[in-house]
Amino acid sequence: MIEPWIILALATVLGAVGMWLLLPRGTGRGRAAGAAFALAALGAWASLVPGLGDWLSNSLFGVLAAVTLLAAGAMIACRSPIYSAIWFGMTLVGTAGLFLLTGAEFLAVATLVVYAGAILVTFLFVLMLSQPEGHTSYDRRSWAAVLSAAAGALLIGVLSMTLTAVLRGPVATAAVPQTVEPTAASYPLAQLGTDLFTRYVIPVEVAALLLLAALVGAAVIIGPGRTHPEHEPTP
Amino acid sequence: MNSNIATLHSYLAVAAVLVGIGLVGFLSRRNMIVMFLSAETMLQGVSLSLVAWGRFHNDLGGQMLVLFIIALAAAEAAIALALVVTMFVRSGKLDIAAWQDLREADQPPFEEADLPPEPCDEPAAWPHLAPAGIEPSTSDEKENYRPKM
Amino acid sequence: MLLSIPFLLILVPALPLAAAVATAALGPRVLRQASHWPTVAAVALSSAASLLLVVAVRQEPEHERIVPLWSWAAVSGSNFHVDVVLRADPLTAVMLATVTFISLLVCVYSIGYMHGDRGYWRFFSYVALFVFSMTMLVSVSNFLLLYVFWEAVGLCSYLLIGFWYEKPAAAAAGLKAFLVNRIGDFGFALGVFLLWTTYGTLDFDAIFQRPALVGGGTTTAIALLLLAGACGKSAQFPLHVWLPDAMEGPTPVSALIHAATMVTAGVYLVARCTPLFLASPDARLVVAIIGGITALMAAIIAMTQTDLKRILAYSTISQLGYMFLGLGTGTLLGVAAAMFHLVTHAFFKALLFLGAGSVMHATGGVIDIEHLGALRRRMPTTHWTFLVGCLALAGIFPFAGFWSKDAILAAVAEKTHAGDVAWLYSALYWAGMLTVFLTAVYTFRAFFLTFYGRERLPREASQHVHESPWVMAGPLAILALGALVVGAYFQWSGDFLGRDGFLAQTPSLVALGEKEQGQLSAGETASDVTLLASGVAVAGIAVAALLYLSRPAWLQAVTALMTALGLYRLSKNKFYFDEIYRALVVGPLERLAAVFAWLDQHAVDALVDAVGAVPRAIGATLRPLQGGLVQFYALLMIVGVLAFLVAILL
Repeated sequence: MIEPWIILALATVLGAVGMWLLLPRGTGRGRAAGAAFALAALGAWASLVPGLGDWLSNSLFGVLAAVTLLAAGAMIACRSPIYSAIWFGMTLVGTAGLFLLTGAEFLAVATLVVYAGAILVTFLFVLMLSQPEGHTSYDRRSWAAVLSAAAGALLIGVLSMTLTAVLRGPVATAAVPQTVEPTAASYPLAQLGTDLFTRYVIPVEVAALLLLAALVGAAVIIGPGRTHPEHEPTP
Repeated sequence: MNSNIATLHSYLAVAAVLVGIGLVGFLSRRNMIVMFLSAETMLQGVSLSLVAWGRFHNDLGGQMLVLFIIALAAAEAAIALALVVTMFVRSGKLDIAAWQDLREADQPPFEEADLPPEPCDEPAAWPHLAPAGIEPSTSDEKENYRPKM
Repeated sequence: MLLSIPFLLILVPALPLAAAVATAALGPRVLRQASHWPTVAAVALSSAASLLLVVAVRQEPEHERIVPLWSWAAVSGSNFHVDVVLRADPLTAVMLATVTFISLLVCVYSIGYMHGDRGYWRFFSYVALFVFSMTMLVSVSNFLLLYVFWEAVGLCSYLLIGFWYEKPAAAAAGLKAFLVNRIGDFGFALGVFLLWTTYGTLDFDAIFQRPALVGGGTTTAIALLLLAGACGKSAQFPLHVWLPDAMEGPTPVSALIHAATMVTAGVYLVARCTPLFLASPDARLVVAIIGGITALMAAIIAMTQTDLKRILAYSTISQLGYMFLGLGTGTLLGVAAAMFHLVTHAFFKALLFLGAGSVMHATGGVIDIEHLGALRRRMPTTHWTFLVGCLALAGIFPFAGFWSKDAILAAVAEKTHAGDVAWLYSALYWAGMLTVFLTAVYTFRAFFLTFYGRERLPREASQHVHESPWVMAGPLAILALGALVVGAYFQWSGDFLGRDGFLAQTPSLVALGEKEQGQLSAGETASDVTLLASGVAVAGIAVAALLYLSRPAWLQAVTALMTALGLYRLSKNKFYFDEIYRALVVGPLERLAAVFAWLDQHAVDALVDAVGAVPRAIGATLRPLQGGLVQFYALLMIVGVLAFLVAILL
């Protein structure tokens, strides 16, 4: 673990920089960065406090879960689709963090690389090309809001009931260990890689074929390139 | 570290809420891209649930499944985007309500009422600017004004 | 073997049935204008067979033979069983002989009358079917089969009246005949039911040979119900309205069915059920009253009709009234006289109808006597045979009608001497006498207007008025001969009227004879009745000759008198029976039918339409589910999943 004095030093430096940035220096620039630094310093210093530190580290799951869910909520609530995409990115970050907490490091990184790096970016491209004016009339109105919200809430409720029903019993309340101590023989990532090419080699090949099919299919659906778009994008 | 605060229950609960939120977004948003993003959110929830179960049973199978889910999601995104682009080219907008041709012959199409114009930040009255090249006229009062304590 | 009763009994109806089937099968394509051969051959053979049957029955020691054929219906567990059983006794033999002989002559006549008609084969098929039904009707030995063939002759009558079905009047007349008969048949059916519940059997012998029939109201009810059926079939008051309209059918049909054979089925029925009527004096009285009323009423109506066939139709109704009058006396003489009159009436009425047909054949279908005149010069055979028929109808010595009609009047006169209803019989007797007078008048009115007077030929005849071919004139001659001699012959032989005569040996009538030991028989009837009747008839002829031949001014005076009395209009409009029935029966029924039609259209059809509208409504409700919006489909899927989950969890 990191030595407490290193954390203290870090907290001091961060606090100094942050407070310097926050002080009025004639311009308004750097105020937000200053606030961020100050908060980080505060957090680092607070983790040194004996009771508070444990609570922070123990509440990491809660923080990450809150971040994820709030970002998902904001994603469906935003009127501008670009903002929705950005909030989706935040959701991905939160999910990646939760993966990390369960010890699936490779998955966390894969999520960020593939999802946030490839899929999200592609979507942003499409959005910017097709709706350069930002949000439109159909972005401002949702369809059957009451019914969808009710359906979603009901689903969450029913699934929660499932949770409590399924997990009753001594076995269910066993905790999920946060991490697994790496031993020489059971390094999880190496194990993952080995399994990927021995036990799951056929699904891997099938997934590869699937990707190829998707590639070809996308190309076919788009068809030969057009020189002029059929419609001018309406504002 | 042996802080075992988060139980399987919590992870599954988070996953369930993610799925629910994604569902609401998919059912109600009309922008095709946002619909797709909501669907991806649902997939994220499922992935989270799978990883938690895998950790619970100490089996790497959960993570493998999520890996394949990611691959699948990528393929799905490719195809979905191709379709979205085609539909955009044909209808000129990303609105899913523009595609209602599958309805029964005698059903009226879904049409929404006109929205009030969005409030914009334009001021009620534009400031009157003096034409360029001529100094704006000021009065002595305005020149010599000092606020009182 | 040839004279064996079972064989003859089966042969007589079977041959016409075979002919009917053969004509229907072969007529349209193969036989066409030769379609008369099967029917004529079959009826000829039947006629011969029935004459042989008469001989055979005469030789039979008990004068009765029962020939069971097969068991038709039997319900195990109860004593209900109906067998097809034929019987041969004098009553049956007499009816068979009459029916088949007259049918033969009419068939031969029809070869000429229906020549060239489009439905030639259909006519002979129907006639053969009718002969089969009628012969079976008089041969069967239980009430259920009697009812079956009762309906069968009604059906044949309908088919033959409406033979020229494209004519609306003919179709309507056929329908009217059938419906009015149906009313009578309803009573008949109720009578049969009552018989079953009272006696537990429907066989003639089982009922009539009982030592004592159930007396009182039951027997009266049974007798009256059977009488209702007889009234329908024999066109008695008040169910007589169909017979004049039935003249729309071809004339041979009128001759055969509505003069000689079918309408006598009612008389046969009452004669057959004599023990029943014996046990119920009230029913007997009703029979006599109905007969008397009908006879007089029909004679009054016939006085003013102008259609020759209708005059003859009313004459038939009147003479049938006589037969019922005779049956209603309840004496052996009365019943035997009624049957005697049946046979003689068959001869001279068929003769008259065929003569009218001959006139129609010559004049191109015109039978309105106001448009005809002095036809005797152009149609001598018809003229002389018609004269014979008229004299027989009027009852002039020595023609056939004289003997039988006087026997009936004598029987009625017998009942006027004693008993508590003697005054009623006395009234009936004088009504009968008046009817004799009127009969003579209207008969010779028709005769003189048609064959005498100034020559008038209708336009439809063109130059066509000539005598009928021999195939039509032949039967006329034979019938005229019969009308001349039949009465005298049977009177001399005592077959009908004698106490030990042939007819009296019928088992139903034997009891009647035994009851009346020591009373007068026909030969000894009071001769004053005979003299009075003859005088009245001659007076009638004289009046007719005076009014219609020599003194037209007196005719106008009499007509004015009758009009002033209101009788003329009453008679001309047939006592307004048709109008009364239309107002009382037909009108309300039509309105009821309209109500039901409305109900059917608006209630039943609405119900059916409502049932049909249910799927449509369901479809209209479900159709909006296909809105075309993908998110709506997704929402439905989620709702389904939720429902499933909830169902699992709860």
